[in-house]
Amino acid sequence: MANVNADSRAACTLSVSNIRKAFGINEVLKGVSISLRAGEVLALIGGNGAGKSTLMKIIMGIYRADSGTIEVDGCPVNMANPSAALSAGIYMVPQEPMLFPNMTVEENILMGFRDKVPELRKRLATHMKELDFRLNLQRKANTLSIAEQQLVEILRGLLREAKVLILDEPTSALTFGEVQSLFRVIEDLKSKGISMIYITHRLTEVFEVATDVAIMRDGVITLKGPVGEFNKEMLIRGLLPSDVEMCTGGGCTYVPVDYEHLDPVLEVQGLAGYGFKDVSFKLYPGEILGIAGVVGAGRTELISTIFGRDKTLAGKVLLEGKDITGLSTGKLLKAGINFVPEDRHYHGLFKIRSISSNTTSALLNTRAIGRVDINRKKQKQISQKYVDDFRTKIVSLEDLIGSLSGGNQQKVVIARALSTLPKVVILDEPTRGIDAGARGDVYNIIRQLKDAGVAVLMVSSDIEEVVEIADRAITVFQGRINGEFSHDEINQDSLTSASFGIVDGKVVTE
Amino acid sequence: MNIVKKLLKARWSSSLIFLVLLFLITGLANASFLSYSNIIACFNTATMYTLLAIGIAFVIMTGEIDVSIGAVLGLSASVTGMIAQEGGSIGKMLICVLLIGAAVGLFNGIGVSFFGVPSLIFTLGTNGVLRGIIYMVTEGRTIENFGGPVAVYGNMSLFAGVSLYYLITLVLVVIAHLVTTRTRRGKYFIAVGDNAGGATLVGISVLRTKIIAYVICGVMAGIAGYVFASKYGQVMNVAGNGYEMTAIAACVLGGISLSGGLGNMVGAAIGAVIMSSISRLLVFIGLPSTYDNTITGVMLIAIVVVDALTQRRAIETARRKRLLNRTESKPEEGGIQA
Repeated sequence: MANVNADSRAACTLSVSNIRKAFGINEVLKGVSISLRAGEVLALIGGNGAGKSTLMKIIMGIYRADSGTIEVDGCPVNMANPSAALSAGIYMVPQEPMLFPNMTVEENILMGFRDKVPELRKRLATHMKELDFRLNLQRKANTLSIAEQQLVEILRGLLREAKVLILDEPTSALTFGEVQSLFRVIEDLKSKGISMIYITHRLTEVFEVATDVAIMRDGVITLKGPVGEFNKEMLIRGLLPSDVEMCTGGGCTYVPVDYEHLDPVLEVQGLAGYGFKDVSFKLYPGEILGIAGVVGAGRTELISTIFGRDKTLAGKVLLEGKDITGLSTGKLLKAGINFVPEDRHYHGLFKIRSISSNTTSALLNTRAIGRVDINRKKQKQISQKYVDDFRTKIVSLEDLIGSLSGGNQQKVVIARALSTLPKVVILDEPTRGIDAGARGDVYNIIRQLKDAGVAVLMVSSDIEEVVEIADRAITVFQGRINGEFSHDEINQDSLTSASFGIVDGKVVTE
Repeated sequence: MNIVKKLLKARWSSSLIFLVLLFLITGLANASFLSYSNIIACFNTATMYTLLAIGIAFVIMTGEIDVSIGAVLGLSASVTGMIAQEGGSIGKMLICVLLIGAAVGLFNGIGVSFFGVPSLIFTLGTNGVLRGIIYMVTEGRTIENFGGPVAVYGNMSLFAGVSLYYLITLVLVVIAHLVTTRTRRGKYFIAVGDNAGGATLVGISVLRTKIIAYVICGVMAGIAGYVFASKYGQVMNVAGNGYEMTAIAACVLGGISLSGGLGNMVGAAIGAVIMSSISRLLVFIGLPSTYDNTITGVMLIAIVVVDALTQRRAIETARRKRLLNRTESKPEEGGIQA
């Protein structure tokens, strides 16, 4: 019996067993085991905070596991630092490629090797020929597209004779065509016997490239096996906590928007900027307009340009008929537009301030909380109102915002946007990285906004989210609007295909 | 033709052009500035700045800074002078300054990379500590009246007026340049400054690379201290005060980006000559040398601002170009372009 066990382990290129890791009292990995055969592509899926990146960092020797073992080709390896992982034949292509921007492609690839340069060059040329990569080696890395940067990363891995490549959401910043060529590369690598861990959020990709699939939730693997044994529904069920309810209470009864008698509050006419072009749409009061599309389609650029954070190249934005094109963010706030950013930590929160300071921070340059000195009582009043309205779970208003969970932090950020009493609220990925329970609360908040007559522009990569709460949806594909869907037309299928450039069954190519 | 093109593309070529223009313009105001002896003097007086600049260039390339090098120079110069007063050998002096430099560099390196203290603050602290140590070691005296071989070598010129020390410095510049551009480990300094996270992922130890950079920087400052004592024959307590600013300015003038990851040693050496020329040319155009520090400071700020702006512009242009590509390209063309 022991013999069989040893044999099956030896057949595995990489075998990770019973890994545990805690940061303080927060246990992120609770005994995770995965194994990879040669040529296996293991799709690893799981929400934010499931522990995927922690696990990868442990495999790469960036973090150290509290307990558990890592074996490569049947031999235990002590992953004390990244060099150990590299020499064991493991290479990670990070989500945002980590190149040296001021160096040439060749310098980037050859950096960190001990071998002689001419010999490395020869091997590099062989690899590039085998995979049919055409890349000018003398280009500076900062001129490369994300897809090209990924190729450079893959070449780095191959040149190290990596047996295991970790691809961390490799398609998240790629265009449709680039994704297809990446998949061809993965097929090639697979046939050469290289194993891959393919981290993704896109379930369709799992069935396209993976041989096996594993789902991670709350620091454990909840489901794993060959791809053939699963379908999308089973994967989605594996991702959701068992007690999730998709629809809560009366929020689901749909109140249609009266398009006949209302004037649009926000009107975008032929807007062009960096990353998008010819964008026109109208937004009505009391309407939730969903903007769907894949990451990198230009949605984030579109809304940050509307919010005055980047230059408008052409076109107009009208708020209640008034031209607000190219106004500064401060003026737009006063005009009645507010924005809830995608990245809470980077653009949203003042981490070491209290909940009430965060809630009222957008009011600092108005007189709502006092003229010169801050009126603490008013600050508290306003904050308490939102905490009650949103059912934010807090101990005290004076606690640091950092002590809250992601979902509750997001509620505070939305509250801040609402505290300026805007006519238009732009939400960028409102439920990214928050758990299913809080997600329902956020949806309820968005519906409350609608009821209060606020116009909501919601950018979301989560198509289910758009299906669930949007009154109308538009899809953005390669920087242009390629589809508009009324409430009845919105469904998973129509939005997903439009996001990937297929409208009415045809590939739209301008 | 190819070599000319390559030279013009090098980051230090604009520094060289700036240096030549500086000479020519000053020459228009006062022709005697262009005399052979003066030009050579500009290079000779650049010896200490060059040593400091190539040392700190290692640190700046990794994206950090070291403002304690002026104090390292002061301490090393004082110790050199004291050994000379006792009639000690040059070997003893060199060993002492190397040890001082390496120890301070190690201290800075550990503080900055191991404990993660912002380098400006940490080395500012080191600077204070060292200035205090100088007073303790010298008991507040100016170290002077020392003779012997040190004083002789200090002003010895080998041929055509080029000083012995400047020639040795040039050799060090060439070695430093080759190390950082040609050797495997030497490239780590630039790699760490360019993208520390990426360096970690290809197995480069950021921690160790930064510590080594600080040690090299300290050692070069120690050598500069020896040169100081040897050249001037007297060392005041404040020796080396403000030299760090000149060295940083020299690096930046030579095309080394303060955000790390860009530039080379040849540039730093040219920058050092520019800085020493500026103090000399003040005399030639009739300005008092009291303007020296102010001008150095103004130049440093001006260049750093320009550097920061061009850097930001380059990043922004690249981003916008990428985004524009996205709307221009059709799905079929999304693949890899050569």
